[in-house]
Amino acid sequence: MMLRKCIADVILMIFFAFAATIVSTGAAAQTIISTPSPIAPTFDPTRLAQPPTVMPPAQADNGAQAYWSMCMGCHGDHGQGLTDEWRASYGNEYRDCWQSGCHASDHPENSFEILSTGAPALIGAGKLTRFANAYELQSYVHGNMPFSPAGSLTAEQSLELTAFLLRESDTLPGGLTLDMINSSAVTVHQKVNPPENEVPGSFLLIGILVLATVGLTFRVSTKVAIPNARPAFVYHLHPPRIPAAQSRFWYTLGTGGLSVFLSLVLLLTGLLEMYYYVPSPDRAAVSVSIIKTLVPYGNLVRNLHFWSAQFLVIVMSLHLLRVVLTGAYAPPRRFNYLLGLGLLVLILLLDFTGYVLRWDEGVHWALVVGTNLLKTIPLIGDGLYRFVMGGGGPGPATLIRFYAWHIFGLTLAVIILVTWHAFRVRRDGGIASAPPGLSQGQQWITRFDLVRREVLAMVIGIVILLIVSLAIPAPTDSPISSFSSMTGSSQAPWFFLWVQQLLKWGDPFWLGIILPVMVVTLLGLFPYILPNADKNELGHWFPRGNRLAQVLTVLLYLVILVLTFLGAFSPNG
Amino acid sequence: MMKSELSRRDFMKLSTRTLLGLGAVLGLGGLIRYFSYEPGQGPPTVFDLGDAGSFPIGSRTIRGEVPAVIINQDGVFEAYSLTCTHLGCTIEKDKESIGFTCPCHGSAFDETGKVINGPAQDPLKALHVEITGENRLIVHTD
Repeated sequence: MMLRKCIADVILMIFFAFAATIVSTGAAAQTIISTPSPIAPTFDPTRLAQPPTVMPPAQADNGAQAYWSMCMGCHGDHGQGLTDEWRASYGNEYRDCWQSGCHASDHPENSFEILSTGAPALIGAGKLTRFANAYELQSYVHGNMPFSPAGSLTAEQSLELTAFLLRESDTLPGGLTLDMINSSAVTVHQKVNPPENEVPGSFLLIGILVLATVGLTFRVSTKVAIPNARPAFVYHLHPPRIPAAQSRFWYTLGTGGLSVFLSLVLLLTGLLEMYYYVPSPDRAAVSVSIIKTLVPYGNLVRNLHFWSAQFLVIVMSLHLLRVVLTGAYAPPRRFNYLLGLGLLVLILLLDFTGYVLRWDEGVHWALVVGTNLLKTIPLIGDGLYRFVMGGGGPGPATLIRFYAWHIFGLTLAVIILVTWHAFRVRRDGGIASAPPGLSQGQQWITRFDLVRREVLAMVIGIVILLIVSLAIPAPTDSPISSFSSMTGSSQAPWFFLWVQQLLKWGDPFWLGIILPVMVVTLLGLFPYILPNADKNELGHWFPRGNRLAQVLTVLLYLVILVLTFLGAFSPNG
Repeated sequence: MMKSELSRRDFMKLSTRTLLGLGAVLGLGGLIRYFSYEPGQGPPTVFDLGDAGSFPIGSRTIRGEVPAVIINQDGVFEAYSLTCTHLGCTIEKDKESIGFTCPCHGSAFDETGKVINGPAQDPLKALHVEITGENRLIVHTD
């Protein structure tokens, strides 16, 4: 008899501990405010045992502890929810303790009234169907759990609990630690395996390409043009011969060819991204995250796309500088120079539209500021804003429009202009006009050797791009949740930092619209209003003829550089 | 009969070009019309901020969803939009004072919404506040 009493006492004590846990965390129970259930107690104390501690604990292990102390009372010991069976395990007097009043003064006000739906099951197939991904689940847990006081969990705890629930349902990608960004890519209902490591494959490719450069470097083309034969397509795109002095790397810096190469990489990687990217506000950042974390080599593809775009802006700016500092835009190449300027503007627009497609907090304010800038234009500003946004403010229509411009509208314009630009270069006699009186022979290189050099530059370019993309990931941020709260970075993308810095100093229309337009216009006018280089001076750096344009351009570049640095390092200067 | 100064050939050329130009203008007009449809709804302009009693006398409450600061000045409600009048970023409350600063371009505003520091030119927009019969606080942002 004594023994039985003893056991009964221990069981009672455990009950009290359990009840206290429920009260202290406010995790209260139950739907049916009804007559006490006739189910007999099925109490089994092992069901209340604390999960074993794992060292070092994985995220889900921490979640298991939190679940045990805060969630289990209502959601059950294996996530079955507040079933009759689970309630029965409480013992008669505790089953409906909110009626018997055992929570006493700690009883949270109204805490049992709203549970008309019960405490739902959380673990297993077909559960948690309202959540598409782990990000949604953790925000719900963070905002609404535990039952009382709701919202008392830290963001970290919410993620731990989410990881625990997914692990128990066998949908947590192995080895993945959930965070605010990658959680949006992890589905709640379907197990997605994280991709294999992309580093070995990339290094294999890098190694092969490096070996190939050796051959490309030393095998000078011995091909000679067969008289009257028509060249193959790729060769036909190049002039039959160009002057050797002007085909040197230190004359051209290879910037034109590199720009074409980077554009090709952008087209290809962009195409690959389109297979997974979803241009809708609630899915965009998630799909970017999926490309980054779950698609095999997706992270590499995205990084290549990002870095090619950043390099393209730099390489094109250098190309422009090279053309001015060698006076190469002198007639008959003036118009082609304008085509090039147009391309630079288009690429900046493409960079900006692509940047916005991430639709996460990192781009949020750049989008707001960049488009509000349009509103400051007199007369047409408001119409232009609505045209760009597809409505009165940022929303689904905005994303679709930016997507259309980025994927097709602007890209088509670039393809047409690049083709035209290259055609004009070819028609105007190649990379540079030959100095008058240049004879045949050693002073020229053939189109075959030119193509070899281009392939070499491309291979080196791919290797550098691969290394940078493996080393430095393209930025991501958490999805935009609301357009009124200021949570993201307030910095413009780096290529517009100089404009952002200008905007700190005065009227947005003059400094943010007119001034940048004037910079481009001024550059475009140089060949038409300033003296040009003489024919005899062409093909060398710093010809005397267009000195004034050279000085002005360098000054302009320096000013933009200084403004960019100011913008980068003094956020509120 | 007077010979026309315009030869037949020139006339044909001119009318062809005029027609083509007209067609282009018409096409452009159609294109502009095409883009004039706005699928986007635009942001909401009316916000129900709940029981007015939850904004006690003398309080200054920031509501991020509008975004606005709600001021209860001796029972009279005022609200200022927290959207920067410069280029539309949401301004943030200063740590030391009760003024606001914009994180994008550094405009500063005092507690009554006046500009202390550029580049913003205009004071914060005062929002229309309405108290309904059920004592709910409604803010209009337009």
